[in-house]
Amino acid sequence: MFTSSAKLLLAALLCAGCAVAGAADLSVICNSRVPLTAADVRDLFLGEKQFAGAVKLVPVDNSSAQSVFLDKVLKMNAAKYSTTWTKKSFRDGINPPLVTGSDAEALAYVKRTPGACSYVTIATPADVVVVARL
Amino acid sequence: MGTTTPWRATPGRAWVGALLVAGLGHALVTHAAADDKDRIAALEQKLDQSLQLIQQLSARVHDLEAQVAQAPPAAAKPTSPGAAAPAPAAAQPGTPASQPAGVTPPDTAQRLARVEQAVTEIAASGGQRAEDLGMPMHGFADVGVGNHNAEFRQYQGADIAELDFFLTPRLGSRTRALFELNFEVGSDGSVGVDLERAQIGYQFSDSATVWLGRFHTPYGYYNTAFHHGQQIATSLRRPRFIEFEDHGGIMPAHTVGAWLTGSQRLGDEKLTYDVYIGNSQSIKNGILDMNNAGNTQGSTIVGGNLGLLMSGALDGLKVGVDVFQTRILDEDAMLTPAPATRVRSYGVYAAYDTDSWEDIAEFHVFDNEDLTGQTGTHRSEAGFLQMGYRAGRFTPYGRYERGAFQQSDHFFAAQINGSSYYRTALGLRFDVDLVSSLKLELADTHLTDRVTGSYDEALLQYAIRF
Repeated sequence: MFTSSAKLLLAALLCAGCAVAGAADLSVICNSRVPLTAADVRDLFLGEKQFAGAVKLVPVDNSSAQSVFLDKVLKMNAAKYSTTWTKKSFRDGINPPLVTGSDAEALAYVKRTPGACSYVTIATPADVVVVARL
Repeated sequence: MGTTTPWRATPGRAWVGALLVAGLGHALVTHAAADDKDRIAALEQKLDQSLQLIQQLSARVHDLEAQVAQAPPAAAKPTSPGAAAPAPAAAQPGTPASQPAGVTPPDTAQRLARVEQAVTEIAASGGQRAEDLGMPMHGFADVGVGNHNAEFRQYQGADIAELDFFLTPRLGSRTRALFELNFEVGSDGSVGVDLERAQIGYQFSDSATVWLGRFHTPYGYYNTAFHHGQQIATSLRRPRFIEFEDHGGIMPAHTVGAWLTGSQRLGDEKLTYDVYIGNSQSIKNGILDMNNAGNTQGSTIVGGNLGLLMSGALDGLKVGVDVFQTRILDEDAMLTPAPATRVRSYGVYAAYDTDSWEDIAEFHVFDNEDLTGQTGTHRSEAGFLQMGYRAGRFTPYGRYERGAFQQSDHFFAAQINGSSYYRTALGLRFDVDLVSSLKLELADTHLTDRVTGSYDEALLQYAIRF
């Protein structure tokens, strides 16, 4: 159905779409059992919200999309984010979020871990909850 | 003995002057340009990664098309569902398969599915489990040099300050623990060890966590925002009157007892609260002692703190009030009964913390009563205003602090550092990297009762966290 050139072009376009998705399409995702709202995302990733009902929340940073997330959602730079978590940890004994290295890694972690939430720039499957899209 | 400097005559001017400087500082400082270098470098890295991915995918598409082209057209042979090819390799020559032109044969589709599954599993195996048991340990350290020791002005030269270990063992989803073990140089120049914090807690919800043990007394803003690791603080040292007890602070920075804390959303704002009760402190060797093992009278310190985190245009601003009451025994007095003071402190604070600004202000009023009945009640005041502006790696800051302590109040008179003072400091923090900082501070301190005088300080500090 598709010629080899068309397939190559489609693959390139998809990958180009992935490359620019960091600047345009960011999805905050959570494990399917997490009842989180968009308004809670900032609190979650700043250590201010650790429970959604009875579910213990597990925020997970995604280093491949972190700069966009910090800019669009938390509205702070990386240095401030790091310092915020250091102070939070030092004050309240809360450990900072885990860090994954890619969208695929973040997605896999969220799917398998109850309470986990992260952010990705790729298309999300139906078995994760999209809390917010930016 | 009262204060020799007429507090009523000058404090208004001093605080008005400080606030005017603060206002002018905010108005005059131009917005520092954002440092785009890091963002550009990150974007370039992403582009390189994306180009690599494109090349890999296009090579894979080419391989798949080659496999399709190699397999000769033949009648369909049903493939059993459980049949597995040995590996996702090129199809064997001559293997009969049925595919119209342009359709991926079933074995290739199965290989692709297995490759996708393998990639997913490899990705899933990355990252740590959040609830793995373990004991994360971090630490802070700082060393300094100056014409005075930043904490003990009788010394000059270089000092090794402190090495602070901070442990947060992972105990489960709701049980928390925090330990801070500090090796620090004392006023006699020797290195001592303090279990500065030892708290074990249970988190019922975001609105309620209870801690038991030794914790930083939650008055004001500074005492719970900054602890013993100087690297996370903008300034080189704490305001003098809220220094830690063994560094001359006149307020009970630590409490051994129970502490309930939490927060609750109020629309876009957030309300924070702290309620605590613990062993009342006593004065030993001229400094406050938090009575880690309990006290002999069974008296307590009780207090609370209520704060409001703002949002919208005031995002980053926290305002609050606090109060505590305690009964302080002077164990140095060698009298029976030992003199005791009921100390009541009322405080108000504001802190503005954004990417660019870190401004903190606290003001405390002490309404103390001599429980021996000899000197009655006394009122004293203390406060500070600190402003810092983050300009990339540099953060210049300034601080004005003042303590006006009635020397007829035994609580202050019995403490080595209970004398009135005011201090002006200008400093510069330079972030060598995310975990280490150099700080330079120039300060001018005036002592206004007991022994009047002044001294200037030029201090340098190298602080790290790990």
